[in-house]
Amino acid sequence: MGGGEGMAQANNPEPGRDGWTGWTPDPPPDLRDEPPERLLEYYRQMQVIRHFEERAAQAYTQGRIGGFLHLANGEEALAVGGLAALEPEDDLITHYRDHGVALARGSDPGRVMAELFGRADGVSGGRGGSMHLADAGRRFWGGHAIVGIHLPIAAGLALAHQYRKEPRVVLCIFGDGATNTGAFHEALNLAATWELPVIFLCQNNLYGMGTAIERAMRVTELHRRGAAYGIPSARINGMRLLEVRAAVASAARWAREGKGPVFLEALTYRYRGHSMADPELYRTKEELKAWRAWDPIQLFAQELLEAGVVTPEALRRADQEAEQVVEAAIAFAEQSPEPDPATLHHGVYRAPLAAALPAGGGNGVGAHLP
Amino acid sequence: MATGDRVDLLERYQHGRHRELGLTDEDVRRMYEVMLLARRLDERMWILNRTGQAPFAISGQGHEAAQVGAAWALDRERDWIYPYYRDVALVLVWGLTPRDLMLQLLGKAADPSSGGRQMPNHFSSRRLRIAPQSSVVGTQIPQAAGTALASKLEGTGAVTLVTFGEGATAQGDFHEGVNFAAIHRLPVIFFCENNGYAISVPAEKELSVPDVADRALGYGIPGVTVDGNDPFEVYRVVREAVERARAGEGPSLIEAKTYRLLAHSSDDDDSTYRPREEVEAWRQRDPLPRLAAYLKEHGLADDADLQALEEQVRQQVDDATEHAQAAPYPRAEHLLDHVTGP
Ligand SMILES: Cc1ncc(C[n+]2csc(CCOP(=O)(O)OP(=O)(O)O)c2C)c(N)n1
Ligand SMILES: Cc1ncc(C[n+]2csc(CCOP(=O)(O)OP(=O)(O)O)c2C)c(N)n1
Ligand SMILES: [Mg+2]
Ligand SMILES: [Mg+2]
Repeated sequence: MGGGEGMAQANNPEPGRDGWTGWTPDPPPDLRDEPPERLLEYYRQMQVIRHFEERAAQAYTQGRIGGFLHLANGEEALAVGGLAALEPEDDLITHYRDHGVALARGSDPGRVMAELFGRADGVSGGRGGSMHLADAGRRFWGGHAIVGIHLPIAAGLALAHQYRKEPRVVLCIFGDGATNTGAFHEALNLAATWELPVIFLCQNNLYGMGTAIERAMRVTELHRRGAAYGIPSARINGMRLLEVRAAVASAARWAREGKGPVFLEALTYRYRGHSMADPELYRTKEELKAWRAWDPIQLFAQELLEAGVVTPEALRRADQEAEQVVEAAIAFAEQSPEPDPATLHHGVYRAPLAAALPAGGGNGVGAHLP
Repeated sequence: MATGDRVDLLERYQHGRHRELGLTDEDVRRMYEVMLLARRLDERMWILNRTGQAPFAISGQGHEAAQVGAAWALDRERDWIYPYYRDVALVLVWGLTPRDLMLQLLGKAADPSSGGRQMPNHFSSRRLRIAPQSSVVGTQIPQAAGTALASKLEGTGAVTLVTFGEGATAQGDFHEGVNFAAIHRLPVIFFCENNGYAISVPAEKELSVPDVADRALGYGIPGVTVDGNDPFEVYRVVREAVERARAGEGPSLIEAKTYRLLAHSSDDDDSTYRPREEVEAWRQRDPLPRLAAYLKEHGLADDADLQALEEQVRQQVDDATEHAQAAPYPRAEHLLDHVTGP
């Protein structure tokens, strides 16, 4: 038991220790190598999301939308860029700040708005509201309101793909705050251990409600957390659409090849409060202003114009189209009926289970209740 | 290294590793004694289970050096421990007696941990600052962070040592507890007794990194891996962690690599998942004979001393067993005591 026998060693603070892959995402492509129509479409989608949320905020303050409303103004490039990197058969799951994600996935804006209004034609039948959008047909498994809880679900979806040997990946979006939950830890550990095809995309907007990240974790370079699980990780600029798309696409390639999960930390900012009820006492006007200079939509428009791939006229047309889409969505939501109270219990259990219960019958679980 | 330490470094080195670390000869003899007592008590617990007297047995055999090395680095008069079910040697250092351990094993009324209510090896003592445990793996980790927060707020200077297996580090509780302690720089030591298995699941199927200490990267705290069968190395790294904690520098994560020599519990058959050669290889590294050899090599004990110690320990174990066997069970009318607060 001499001095040299002990194997104590200080931990190497740098990634690069055993099991660390040294993975880096692809850089963004040159704008001129992209079809201009596609770039214009990205721009249009971001504008739809921005207008959609502005109009939703208005409707909320007028009392036409109930419950909660969390806006993602400033985070549009993440939704549009991230989803552009997915295949339609890939899975998607996110947190409650989910309007942009649903729209970028292709859900009908009218039905998404109807959900915010709590109407029968909403994507979740008017039951979920803003935080619980979902669209199973598009493999969008929801906005989730409990912070961090959807990360283990994402790992479970990925396990299904691995088990069935299907080359599908799961994109799982969450905030910086979620990385402090036990669910994050359990999901990343299992996904890494079992090499599950999940892309963990953390939208680091520097706050969890009013708590700045440095008050909630000591490692504020969030991407470094991946090293604690042996997961390839990187920090990206979440305000640059093509950088996001390239990073998510390279992560998806890695996962699809069966090499396991990737952890991406995208730096971003939300321009509005955490939810509609937020006096924003925790941040300064200067900080907000500085981040507004990085507005993902303005930035993208500027890059497109500078590269000469679109005309100002084309952008203006896209702006108008976006406004029309959103106005139509509002009109659709307003004319949609309230859900029928008689259907309250629908969707709580699957029909076969319902049939097995006393006096259940069909989808009418609970029909026996007074 | 302080100047004073430099003066007699070589002399201390000549006298053995323990002197270099500032441990006295008496310390080392005491460490061995506790390790031996823990081992023999543990063996007796299994016998009591196999003869139908104890409902359950769960073992610390193989972990003794890790536990004793860690315990020696703390202040038994002031610090808190959150042990887990394998920590027979740790709680003995902390002041539970062989009688206490046998009373809790047999579920007797005088069991200091829970009056005979808990499963075996769910140790606790308010008087000795041993926090009570849940059977749910990992729950003690955030609780220990809470105790450390209290010590910090009250300025007591106390450090909390919390122990757990490597399997527990895959629990969300681990993440939340360590993260919280890291942000608030709490005086707590997260001490993982990594025996390579969570019941039948080998570490490479529970952990996505080679060492539990790698997890420290995610929290910005020191993470150290140490040979858990070497009590002196464990003592050294835990002492450093204690110094950091008392200096307000926050928590540390320490991983002591060790092995459990028996099955997970009396309800487990480890031959279905552990090759006998592997178990045999670790038996060769059993910390007890290793420390006995050290005692002899450095003239701290001879064969006769070790034999006498065996005899003394056997008497303690016999006494504890007989005492617990004769002790009464809890009375039925006390069933609901402690279920809700007063
Ligand atoms: C488990 C849980 N704790 C607390 C809350 C309340 N809560 C709602 S959102 C939120 C902040 C989460 O922040 P972050 O993950 O960074 O996402 P962001 O809102 O910034 O997009 C909190 C604490 C919750 N919904 N769930
Ligand atoms: C939350 C929870 N899950 C599962 C169990 C069942 N269980 C009891 S001990 C154990 C293994 C723990 O392994 P580890 O943390 O490595 O400690 P070891 O027993 O190896 O010392 C498990 C899975 C439990 N008690 N609690
Ligand atoms: Mg956030
Ligand atoms: Mg273990």
